[in-house]
Amino acid sequence: MSKILTLCLCASLAALMGCSGGKKVTRIDENSVTDLSGAWNDTDSRLVADEMITDCLNRPWYQTMIQQKNGIVPTVVIGKIRNKSHEHINVETFVKDMERALINSGKADFVANAEERAELRNELASQAGNATEETRKDAGQEIGADLMLTGTLNSIVDQEGGEQVIYYQVDLELTDIQSHRKVWVGDKKIKKFVSKDSVKM
Amino acid sequence: MKRLFLLLFAVILLTSCANKSMTRYETLAPTLEKEGFEATIAEVKKEKDDLYGSNSEFLYYYDLGILHHYNRNFDESIKNLAQAEKIYEDLYTKSVTNEAAAVLTNDNTRPYRARPFELLTLYQYQILNYLAKMDIDGALVEVKRSQIAMNALYQKDKDKVNDNGYLRYLQALVYELDGDNDEAAIAYVKAIKAYDEGKMGLPKEFFEFATESLRRAEREDEIRALKKPELAATPKATAVHEQGQEIIVLGYAGHSPILGEMYLSGTFVSAGAMNLYYKDGETGRQMSFTLVAPPVPGAGSGTFHIGFALPEVRKYKSRVNQFEVSLDGKTRIKPEKVMDVDQELRQNMDDERNTVITRTAVRVILRTIAAQKAKEATNTGNGIFDLLKNIAVDVGQTQLEQADLRVGLFLPNSFHMTRIPVEPGSHDVNVAAIGPHGETVGVYKFDRIAVRKGQKVLLIVPAIK
Repeated sequence: MSKILTLCLCASLAALMGCSGGKKVTRIDENSVTDLSGAWNDTDSRLVADEMITDCLNRPWYQTMIQQKNGIVPTVVIGKIRNKSHEHINVETFVKDMERALINSGKADFVANAEERAELRNELASQAGNATEETRKDAGQEIGADLMLTGTLNSIVDQEGGEQVIYYQVDLELTDIQSHRKVWVGDKKIKKFVSKDSVKM
Repeated sequence: MKRLFLLLFAVILLTSCANKSMTRYETLAPTLEKEGFEATIAEVKKEKDDLYGSNSEFLYYYDLGILHHYNRNFDESIKNLAQAEKIYEDLYTKSVTNEAAAVLTNDNTRPYRARPFELLTLYQYQILNYLAKMDIDGALVEVKRSQIAMNALYQKDKDKVNDNGYLRYLQALVYELDGDNDEAAIAYVKAIKAYDEGKMGLPKEFFEFATESLRRAEREDEIRALKKPELAATPKATAVHEQGQEIIVLGYAGHSPILGEMYLSGTFVSAGAMNLYYKDGETGRQMSFTLVAPPVPGAGSGTFHIGFALPEVRKYKSRVNQFEVSLDGKTRIKPEKVMDVDQELRQNMDDERNTVITRTAVRVILRTIAAQKAKEATNTGNGIFDLLKNIAVDVGQTQLEQADLRVGLFLPNSFHMTRIPVEPGSHDVNVAAIGPHGETVGVYKFDRIAVRKGQKVLLIVPAIK
């Protein structure tokens, strides 16, 4: 009887140890699609940035501008991208994804945005008084951008009980800084269906 | 003899179970009163398991978020309130095990799902957190989230009050800040409707701003459609609109009510009628009412005598109930009441009353039947032992019955607001917290508040006393 009891005890202990919860971490491919909550995520940000920048640079305005600039690629600055959706989306990540897509395309030059420029100018001012003459960078040598990319991120939510359809729309515009002419307007839509169970055990 | 001791021990154990909601209030209210927000935040965090537990996780983050807001730690407030919101959303899925446990014990074993007005105030605080951080886009996100939440509440139960005039007013304010005058006008119309739906009445200053907004959006006919008086002039709202910059003073006055236990007793006939009696906490009068009794399996057609506890609103004697604002030592303005939490809680209790009574009565009947059967099955033939055992079962059963008194602890009794048009520059603002007899309870000084051209500056006065 005592042997049976000891065996039962050991089995229970083993089972308890096996059931212990805790955190489990698994590394996954950064390009893999992961949808957990249905909210805007890194996959949406990356896909929208890639698709929209590719679309933008393959439209007729691009060839026209290249001709006007005698084969020199246009210089783009990213302006304000506003989040007008129902989620707190890190717009900075989305902007970085667009910067990456722009640079990697090789079809456009890209200059720092207003915030970064202010920091660079501070550095330049600091160099003027502190760096050696040979290494010091001159003021007034910045490249002026030809075009500014601005946009908004919107969403519409339709729901009934535990079911929800989330519709995101990203609108981007490329505007000629000199003439204020809009050279390209593009949008990308994402639709997601999210459902929740009303009961669980 | 051993069994007798075990039985007595069980009885003592059961009788010592205090209602966690009461303990929470009794522990935290004095800390807030004597030591302030910082100390209360520390206490809430330290006593998380004892005072809240896993079933009241929503309340833990909700209370913390509100306290951080009062303490001007807006980032922490945003983080905690977002966590509370996530818990609320996750609780959409109901656990069969939890619901079954609640039938056997009491509603405190179910996870706390937030009352509609608590959820809506969560969004109010979030909007204000972002406004205080001058993050209009962040506030706009919260406005949209609050609209989705209100739609969900309405879909869940369209007969209950699921709207909130003050939240709609804040939504309008954020749209105005964003320059979206059409959306602002729509939000103002919905705010008027929501104030009408509630019992508080239409705040005057709010209505002036609503009228101004609707006039500018050429939607004045909507005021007429709502059968509201037309204002001949809207000087303050016009000044704010034309000058562009303003100081918005938001005062939190007093302390929200808490919930106490009310004992009801009466008779229950399965699939018949339920007659109940109780003593009114405010008037002291004996009251009675009758409800339709749902069928309870195993109850037969006999009459059951039932007794159970239900939550009832206990008004907190607030030391502050209004404010007086002076601008640069001159203008004296009384911010108007834009939300009454006391009334919101009472409305919610009225909305929930029949559901809670029916659920509780069914639970009590089921437990009475189960206890009866358990007593019969465990009878030993030993007269004294059986008597003691039966008493212990009855006492245990009574002890299991506890009203669900859970409610957010740190809401004010009322929200007050005023919007003051100002010239760009530096301004001194003094806000006096006024008691029920006109006495000054405290003064909040905001010296040299810088207001830039077109800026809207939000001043928060947390007189939670």
